[in-house]
Amino acid sequence: MTPALAFVDLHKTYRGGTRALRGMSLEVPKGSFFGLLGLNGAGKTTCINAVAGLVRPSSGRVEVHGFDAQKQYRQAHRLLGIAPQEIVLDGRFLNVRNILVYNAGYFGMPKRQADSRADELLQTFALWSKRHDRVQELSGGMKRRLNLAKALVHDPSVLILDEPTAGADVALRHQIWDELRRLNALGKTVLLTTHYLEEAERLCDEVAILHQGRVVRSGKLHTLIHTTRPDHVLIHTDPPLKAVPQGCSSSCHPTLIEGALRVEGALHDDFLLKLLASLPHQGTSVRSVSVQKATLEETFLDLVQHSEEER
Amino acid sequence: MIGFYTLFKREVARFMLDSLDTIAPPTVSVVLFLLIFGSALGPRLGTVDGVPYAQFVMPGLLFMSVVINAFLNPAYSLLQSRWDGNIFDPLSSPLSSMHISLAVVLAGMVRGLVVGLLVALSGWTLLRFQWVNPAATAFYLVLVALVFASLGSVVGLWTKGWEGVNTISVFIIDPLVMLGGVFYSLEMVEGVPPLDVLIRWNPLTTMVGGLRATMLETSGTSLAAGLIMTGGMAVLFLSASLLLFRYGYHLKA
Repeated sequence: MTPALAFVDLHKTYRGGTRALRGMSLEVPKGSFFGLLGLNGAGKTTCINAVAGLVRPSSGRVEVHGFDAQKQYRQAHRLLGIAPQEIVLDGRFLNVRNILVYNAGYFGMPKRQADSRADELLQTFALWSKRHDRVQELSGGMKRRLNLAKALVHDPSVLILDEPTAGADVALRHQIWDELRRLNALGKTVLLTTHYLEEAERLCDEVAILHQGRVVRSGKLHTLIHTTRPDHVLIHTDPPLKAVPQGCSSSCHPTLIEGALRVEGALHDDFLLKLLASLPHQGTSVRSVSVQKATLEETFLDLVQHSEEER
Repeated sequence: MIGFYTLFKREVARFMLDSLDTIAPPTVSVVLFLLIFGSALGPRLGTVDGVPYAQFVMPGLLFMSVVINAFLNPAYSLLQSRWDGNIFDPLSSPLSSMHISLAVVLAGMVRGLVVGLLVALSGWTLLRFQWVNPAATAFYLVLVALVFASLGSVVGLWTKGWEGVNTISVFIIDPLVMLGGVFYSLEMVEGVPPLDVLIRWNPLTTMVGGLRATMLETSGTSLAAGLIMTGGMAVLFLSASLLLFRYGYHLKA
């Protein structure tokens, strides 16, 4: 199946010599909630701007539903809704409602349809009471909501959000998350870049980690975490263990930490259940068992560090 | 076409909503010029090329008002959109580079022609002269507006800051217009260096002359030469604007 977005061996070197992308290749499946993660300067915004047609790749290509983002940009842009990190609102002389109406017009929406779509989004994003106001009169949170509404005004199939909750308070962040989940449930592909890894962990079903212009790793969120940094179980016994007990396979990487046994695996794994049952027969009793679940943040740091070491 | 029309409407709304700053001042300035040259100085200056001086300067003032306004609108609009970042909106939409370029240029033409219409009406009301061919004047001014709106679009993309637009306006367009036969004829400065050289080699002299020929029964000006010069410049600057947009000059990294 044609992916929603495809980055094929994408390179970008800016005029000053900065190499922002160094052979980035990635596919974002249709209907996925995809997180593009990376440190500052990893190339995330360059990558988004290449999709938007604001950056000319040095080589390689970007496709949106199979349309080349450079050569077939009109078809590609029709499918895209982009909310850039920097809130860009044409507010010098347009009011809040007209910002949405004019943007719908750029996408070829007839005036009457654009008016009703703008009104619908103003209500969805709780901006109805501000519809006649100038952007300068809006709070930071309202501007962020308007930025998102603008990206949605033409009902795009692919939504690209660059740090959509940067600077948002907790309530607004949850509101944006709920809206994004709803849109994804409607079948829209969402590509999210964020510095908040907890946000990616909550929302995304797939992620890619971008480091120094290359994709270091990508895949299903949970698979990525578990293959990079599996869950650990820590078993405290009484008396404390002096050696790794019998029946503990080396594949679970057993180690002793101050008398406690640390093994890789999940509580429901067979070998772990057998190990716990065997401990009383080896002259020790189980005092506590705790599960240490790997987080995306730890996985991210591991992968970035590993990538640095490989270079 | 909806996208093109929307962007055009946005560009027109930009100056119409601010008409006290964009439309009124140039119109008032030209009316003041006409009052001064018509009532205060006119009788002392006599006739030029067979018409009263106030009538002689009228086409030049009309030309000047269309040129400046058609130029400034796209130049400032593009620079402001690049500066504020909202150029992102049309660029990330399905609008083609040609549509964006033409919408910006067309809106600049409209501003130039709106000011031109007000100036023409004011001038005719004050001077009540015999207008040779109003339809030809209108057509000619559309071409003039196209030339300078396209140039404004090129400058709006080329410049890196606000001073770029001012530099082109103050150091190139204003001198060319002022020394392009707006206030005096070639005959009046014959043998007066460097004015005689500047007026002779200034392409705007031919353009102003062409416009004057559509409005007044004067000698020494040629509509055909003016049309050729204006048409040629329109093709040149419009092509440059379309090419710069297509390349994404200062729009795409």
